Amino acid sequence: MTANAGERVICIRNVSVSYGSRHVLKDIDLDIYRGEILVLLGGSGSGKTTLLKQVLGLLKPDTGTIRINGVDITTCPESELAAIRRHVGVAFQEAALFNSLSVEENVALPLHELTHLADSTISLMVWMKLKAVGLADAAKLFPPQLSGGMRKRAAVARAIALDPAILVLDEPAAGLDPIAAAQIDELVLFLKRAFHMTVLIVSHELVSALHIADRLAMLYQGRLIVVGTREQFLANAHPQVRKFLDRTPDPISRGIAEDFINSYLRAG
Amino acid sequence: MTSPGQAKSPPARWLEYVGALTIQFWTVIRQLRHVFPFVGKPRRWRTTVQQMYAIGASALPMAGTMSFFTGMILALQSAAELRRFGAMELVVNLVAVAFTRELGPLITAIAVSGRSASAISAEIGTMVVTEEVDALRVMGLDPVEFTFAPKYLAALITIPCLTVLSTLSGIFAGYLFLAFSIDMSFRVYVQRAAEAVQLRDVGLTLVKSLAFASIIVQVGCLEGLRAHGGPQGVGHSTTVAVVKATFLIILVDLIATGIFYAMGWSAVE
Repeated sequence: MTANAGERVICIRNVSVSYGSRHVLKDIDLDIYRGEILVLLGGSGSGKTTLLKQVLGLLKPDTGTIRINGVDITTCPESELAAIRRHVGVAFQEAALFNSLSVEENVALPLHELTHLADSTISLMVWMKLKAVGLADAAKLFPPQLSGGMRKRAAVARAIALDPAILVLDEPAAGLDPIAAAQIDELVLFLKRAFHMTVLIVSHELVSALHIADRLAMLYQGRLIVVGTREQFLANAHPQVRKFLDRTPDPISRGIAEDFINSYLRAG
Repeated sequence: MTSPGQAKSPPARWLEYVGALTIQFWTVIRQLRHVFPFVGKPRRWRTTVQQMYAIGASALPMAGTMSFFTGMILALQSAAELRRFGAMELVVNLVAVAFTRELGPLITAIAVSGRSASAISAEIGTMVVTEEVDALRVMGLDPVEFTFAPKYLAALITIPCLTVLSTLSGIFAGYLFLAFSIDMSFRVYVQRAAEAVQLRDVGLTLVKSLAFASIIVQVGCLEGLRAHGGPQGVGHSTTVAVVKATFLIILVDLIATGIFYAMGWSAVE
């Protein structure tokens, strides 16, 4: 694998989060190495999004530390956090593009706001990023005029606008048709190859995860139950991993379905 | 997400709300310097000008018409009574003083609250539920500076202007009534109105309108930030924003008028 012994870019230690009496994350330990693609898998409600928000510094954990490039973002001052965030590009699940701005203005926003580059340089950089995600022709369109797949690619273009060292993608393939999802996968592999980015992807799309990941991690009920390479993941014997791989429903949901069908039949 | 207000009594909830409003108010005030023309960031000032149009200029027809109608109603109602005493010309004093001190700022604030408190909370609420606010934060941009501050500055500039124009509209309605009923000339009307209104009234009115502008924008922003649960949540926050903003406007008006009365600023010299 690419860089298992390499430099740690993101280092999560003993992170626990609870809302009231509900434990959302329990003792999470996870390292992400430079230049690798790590896919964080998990079902709905497994704590994926919460962990992602911790890594982005949007929420603070109850206990534990999260280091990005050696800086603990759970305790560092806001100014230092802002400096770290410049090296992290994020594409959100719903793309989170600004609807009042065109696609190119969305991509140009971080460049205008956070750099002192000339407008001509910015337009050239925006064009390059849009070209990289295959949206050069859609530069003048507004987000509501784009298809779901195009919106996600535009979000990736905005995320890589400042040439970040780390790219974070939240459910990049959710809600897309297989072809659009495959395009996103190829885009991620291209970005890793071309810009040597470290990529963290949160997803529940198994096929795409197995295709692009250098390593996979899986969350179940707030705990990391497996972290490893594709082969290690496929060979893992943890019952939840097997269920995830075999698409087996949890017994409780099957029970509910059977109860429902039985009561329906009785009523009929 | 935890919702801290859930199990608390109504007074505690209101206290918590006013506290949150105050904290947000100071946060916005501290970011306001980035929005000013020349000294701030040019892009923020551009947004502010757009907001000045949305909050102020486009509310002028509605606020003006509402004040005009209210001015006419006030003239009609008072004339019916004053006619019995043969004091029809006192309608001038009544309309001019009532509008300058009270109805001008209040009607303007209610009109703007209905239009803009809802629009602001819908915009910010949508940004929250579509993760745009998170996107700003992870880009290293402050949502307060980026979206709240331009709106606040725009309201601070335009709402006092709107108040003046809508007050004039209400007073003009009084003139139209008197011109048709007792044939009063425009010159006499203006002269009498100017005698009735004191400069201090105008000053206090402008102070009130600044307070109302603060309530409209801050409540709109706070309700937007608290939106959760998709489009339905945004709809709910929009309704709550208008209700709370209008309620607070009238409450603050009562308190301000009480203070002015106690200080003896309401007395005619």
